[in-house]
Amino acid sequence: MTATIATHQDRYPPGDLAIWIFILAELAVFAIFFAAYAFARMGDVALFDHYQATLDKDAALLNSLALITGSYCVVRALAAMREDHRAASVRWLIAALGMGTLFLVVKSLEYAHHLAAGVRLSTNTFYMFYLSLTFFHFMHVIMGMVILAAVAWKAHRGGYSAREHTGMETGGVYWHMVDLVWLILFPLVYVMR
Amino acid sequence: MSSSNPSRSFVIRPCTQVYLALMGLTATTYLIGTAAAPEQGPGLGLSLLVLGFALLKSHLIGDYFMGLRGLHGPWRWVILLWLLIPGGLILTAFVLSA
Repeated sequence: MTATIATHQDRYPPGDLAIWIFILAELAVFAIFFAAYAFARMGDVALFDHYQATLDKDAALLNSLALITGSYCVVRALAAMREDHRAASVRWLIAALGMGTLFLVVKSLEYAHHLAAGVRLSTNTFYMFYLSLTFFHFMHVIMGMVILAAVAWKAHRGGYSAREHTGMETGGVYWHMVDLVWLILFPLVYVMR
Repeated sequence: MSSSNPSRSFVIRPCTQVYLALMGLTATTYLIGTAAAPEQGPGLGLSLLVLGFALLKSHLIGDYFMGLRGLHGPWRWVILLWLLIPGGLILTAFVLSA
């Protein structure tokens, strides 16, 4: 009979454990935000439904596809580094940064459109949630891009290898968290009614 | 030189399969959201289906992209457990407001 002993690698997620504690804290805040939106909507369903119809679903789709593609690029960057393909890894990270940039541009255009139409945080409860929730996420995308840029620069300078790439895993899981949050935010704010 | 090499057969990586599934589910969510008249929306049933898609997509991100698949112990389920909390609260709020 052979006993299976779980190794450290089997028990703990990739990357630095501290980033996972940070991610759980971030996810808790977003969970409260999502629940607050859903229960605030109960108070005035007609208002939420009316103003939700003013949002640009095409832009939201493009942003969703950009973030999912960005996450995929990070997965491929890590896979390339595990195979010691440093140049390919850096290229995948740059592609992920490109997807993040696309997200920021599209979202900024959305904000510009709403601000030009006179929409403010104080306009109504729906826009208060829409602007604060999406802008909070927007700031996380910027943070994720700063982390990915630092990881890409270190990878370019030979700071990671097939044996040691914990920093790249750590940056990667943060970026995936940003994607994960948007995957809930998109249907909740733009589609569900 | 052999013209065929079985070891070089075309295989789609699991992460690519997950990526394609995520793109497909996202496109379906968009189609559900845009198919109905703007002032009517998809309705409760389709909205809950879209919520289910979102939770499934997030679970796939946790498992395949964040690397939780294959872990033993509590970290294996951390994202799934997180998803159940906002997912359950959103479900409750939408059902109660229908």
